[in-house]
Amino acid sequence: MFQHYLITAWRNIIKNGLFSGINIFGLAVGFMSCILIMLFVRDETGYDTWIKDSDRVARLHSAYTMPGRPPFLTVRSAGRMMEAIRDYASNEVESGMRLIQWGLTVQQNGEAFPEEMTMVDGSFFDVLDLPFAHGDRSSSFNKPFDLVITEKMANKYFGRTDVIGETLTLCCAAEEPTVMAITGVLKDLPQATHLNVNLLIYLQPALFANNSSVLDTWTSVNVYTYFKLKPTTTIEQLQSRINYWANNESPFVQTIANDIGAMQAGSKVTDVMQHKLMALTDLHLHARKDAGNMGDLSPMGDYKMIVMFVIVASLILLIACINFMNLATARASQRAREVGMRKVLGASRAQVAMQFLSEAVALVLISLLFSLVAVEAFLPLYNELLNRELSLQLFSDPQLLLTLLTGSIIVGIGAGLYPALFLSRFMPAHILTASKGGESRGSTTLRTALVVFQFATSIILVICTVVVYGQTLYANTIDVGYQSDNKLILNVGAANGNLQSLKQELLNLPEVSSVVFSSEAPTQDNENNRQFTLIPQSADANTSEGDAAPIQQILNYYSTDYGFFEAYKITPIAGRVFDEQYGTDKAVQQPDGDNNVGTASVILNESAVRRLGMSNPQTAIGRTLESGIFDNGMHRLHIIGVIPDIYFRSIKFDIRPSVYLLREDHFRAANISFNTNDSPALTSKIEQIWKANVPMQPIHLQFLSEMMAAQYSDDVTTAKMFSTFSLLAIIVACLGLYGLAAFTAERRTKEIGIRKVMGAQISDIVKLLIWQFSKPVLIANIIAWPIAAYAMLSWLQEFPYRLEAIWLLPICVATGLLSLLIAWATVGGNAAKVAKNKPVHALRHE
Amino acid sequence: MLKLHNLSKYFQTDEVETVALNNVNIEIAQGEFVAIMGPSGCGKSTLLNIIGMLDNPSEGQYHFMDDEVAGYSESQLAIIRKQHIGFIFQNFNLIDELTVEENIELALLYHNIPASERKQRVEKVMDKVGIAHRAKHRPGQLSGGQQQRVAVARAVVGDQAMILADEPTGNLDSAHGQEVMEMLKALNAEGTTIVMVTHSPAHADYARRTINLFDGHVVTENVRAA
Repeated sequence: MFQHYLITAWRNIIKNGLFSGINIFGLAVGFMSCILIMLFVRDETGYDTWIKDSDRVARLHSAYTMPGRPPFLTVRSAGRMMEAIRDYASNEVESGMRLIQWGLTVQQNGEAFPEEMTMVDGSFFDVLDLPFAHGDRSSSFNKPFDLVITEKMANKYFGRTDVIGETLTLCCAAEEPTVMAITGVLKDLPQATHLNVNLLIYLQPALFANNSSVLDTWTSVNVYTYFKLKPTTTIEQLQSRINYWANNESPFVQTIANDIGAMQAGSKVTDVMQHKLMALTDLHLHARKDAGNMGDLSPMGDYKMIVMFVIVASLILLIACINFMNLATARASQRAREVGMRKVLGASRAQVAMQFLSEAVALVLISLLFSLVAVEAFLPLYNELLNRELSLQLFSDPQLLLTLLTGSIIVGIGAGLYPALFLSRFMPAHILTASKGGESRGSTTLRTALVVFQFATSIILVICTVVVYGQTLYANTIDVGYQSDNKLILNVGAANGNLQSLKQELLNLPEVSSVVFSSEAPTQDNENNRQFTLIPQSADANTSEGDAAPIQQILNYYSTDYGFFEAYKITPIAGRVFDEQYGTDKAVQQPDGDNNVGTASVILNESAVRRLGMSNPQTAIGRTLESGIFDNGMHRLHIIGVIPDIYFRSIKFDIRPSVYLLREDHFRAANISFNTNDSPALTSKIEQIWKANVPMQPIHLQFLSEMMAAQYSDDVTTAKMFSTFSLLAIIVACLGLYGLAAFTAERRTKEIGIRKVMGAQISDIVKLLIWQFSKPVLIANIIAWPIAAYAMLSWLQEFPYRLEAIWLLPICVATGLLSLLIAWATVGGNAAKVAKNKPVHALRHE
Repeated sequence: MLKLHNLSKYFQTDEVETVALNNVNIEIAQGEFVAIMGPSGCGKSTLLNIIGMLDNPSEGQYHFMDDEVAGYSESQLAIIRKQHIGFIFQNFNLIDELTVEENIELALLYHNIPASERKQRVEKVMDKVGIAHRAKHRPGQLSGGQQQRVAVARAVVGDQAMILADEPTGNLDSAHGQEVMEMLKALNAEGTTIVMVTHSPAHADYARRTINLFDGHVVTENVRAA
């Protein structure tokens, strides 16, 4: 019997070429999208699960939520937290470990290589038990500067992996280059980890002795803190212990109460300062919500994006399934006679239904086969887009194979069940005697509803794609408020005392028009927060502004050299920018700090003027700020100018109220303006100058335009993926519509014939058919617009600076017109073909 | 009214060419009532389809109201057809999705007639064939006789000069068949030309003239005395 089903299934697939083709193509595209997205999702959700005991490891994140200030979020924590919590919660914590990442230079054979160093506590491998290639965890970290490296690093510097006992020279963790002995070699880490560690150094608290804020602090967040929990403890249990400790026993209960002054009766430390644990295996996808602006050890995943793409893939598959259902029921009249005969010959309804189900499953399995071929074909492209190394290991991964097979059988049954029930319901007497097929009005209505659903889905996807693209375009073309063309950014952090000679040599290049230093270049996002106090001003007759009490605000500050604003073509809206001629602008550390009060000039941006409570830029000029910008002593800072709010950072973030100082010891970036089209020649000249001036340090030189584009590269990837998959959804939906139009035209052949006998012209018939298929598309638009608009308006909320909401209207209308055009183009050819038939053929059809 | 001269029709299926009509010469005057008879497969329906311009002849000439229409395109034929010819089929050929009055109105829909006038004319003709009480029903809900009355109404609602009836009584019992024949007779009496294909000699007797076809040829023409 089953063999008979298979044979009939196969013959029907072959016989109905259009029907089978549309379904196999649609389902294959649906499966392909699902498999591609599933590979990506599996990769994203599998981060760090390969680490031994990964379910017992958690990281401590910090959040400061002071009243009246935007929350400060970070996945780092303060240096003293690890020890304190480990010792306090000794019943819950098995082990704890801190990690600091630091950019250093490896000097080997007279060459310099920039590397990320990871300094870790000796307990690192107790918490994260990474597999060793050579050596083991007990022999690794026993004395200062013990170094554990990965196989990749070993191969890079020694050409082999068995390098225990070899040394590397690193510059400059301490003042001088340090020779470090390799005590262990780790196997290379798989790509699926949030850890980005290649060189692990046994953390030396002594290294930071003269910079107490790095480790010896309760509030400054510089380290990543990990705990391994005892097997019987849950993260929630440890979290509540930490909260209890923070509120009642921690050393900062009193400090917070005093310092912030925001503690009201009954409020707790955890109201303003949270230490939150996150499971190791959640870090990749969920750390983003705790990360603020500072990011993580490696690029973070985006849980929302994962959810979004899972939805899109499911929708494509659903659209393909709907095609199957629609076409199978639309075709019902063709097979009604067969069903009738089978029943007359003794088949039960269940047997007939079984036959149609096995046809559906057979079709789906064929589609799966095609989709696997397509996945293999498109994987390289997909990997390039996502920057991954995903692969489909079908035969070495029985779980995947089983998932795909079960999945497709479920899809087959899901898509085939309704047609099977529908077709098997036909009563033989009715079918064999009636002149028409067993088509009921109900099934036509259901088909129309399903077409509406398909088109509504496709339209929503198109609108979303256009908005996502629009926002990306907007972000890339927004007027950032400064001139970003023809700029190179040279990192001069390693150049120390050589800045002026370096600058002079760069200026000697004919292509270079200016070189100015600053603490950050645009797009470089560091938080340099200080408290600034606006000195009260007695009521002034001219300004009528006066404040009773000093206004204190924590503001971000940048250091910029003379000429910085000129180089970026930023004109002050009040006052002036830094000018060497005045001789009073520079901020210098006072000798014997505490008793002397230094003076310097500052420039504010408009947001800072507002934050400090001043009504307009003009009134700010001449006012004075007081701040301890150096580690000791105070400075009085005269406001000499106000500049417009510029997008120093990605437009994903608000513009920060900022103070610009002229403080040379903070200069880390050289902003080089150039005027040549031969940029390779220029960069190689700059590299030569760098090598001559700063030997043994690698150069960091980037075009500002590339740095700016990089800020949005994730969004571009998202937009590309989104548009690819929406396009697939639309193609599958249109194919379904095409098939449906073909079958409907066929089903309406008699009606069309009659209409033509009654005098209808070809154009009348085409109009009739086109209108029939325009109705569901129009309804789909009416449903899709509000849903898409709502979804996109909430998505845009994430961006402080975003596409105007009004843009949604033309996007919706244009998408609506497009969907109609596509439907017409799909249906029109078919309609014309049917309408051109001689009516006699149509009437003979009976 | 119409004149067929040496008209032939072949059907090409796969490798076999079938001759449906072979050198047919027929002339039908205005106001005539002509029956076409013959065994199954003799070409009756093909002849009627060509007369009704639902199909083109393969060879020969077809003069309809002084026009040579044999070479006309589908859309030119459509215009003549809707102006002058009404059809009645054995299987009624009503549109299942439309109501009785909508089916009848269909014959006026493509004539640029205002909706109000269409409604009037449909009501008038429904009264005439006695189907007004079923105006809102769909064909599926009617008996065969009622369906054919709807089809007759649809054929005459446009005041066509000629009605082509293809076995109009073939699917009806004798009482209903009789009814339809009386209706055609009455229409003919009002001046409508009627060409009818039938198997029933009794119904053929309603016609003034009977044309007998055999294997695509006209074999005899009998004219009854008035």
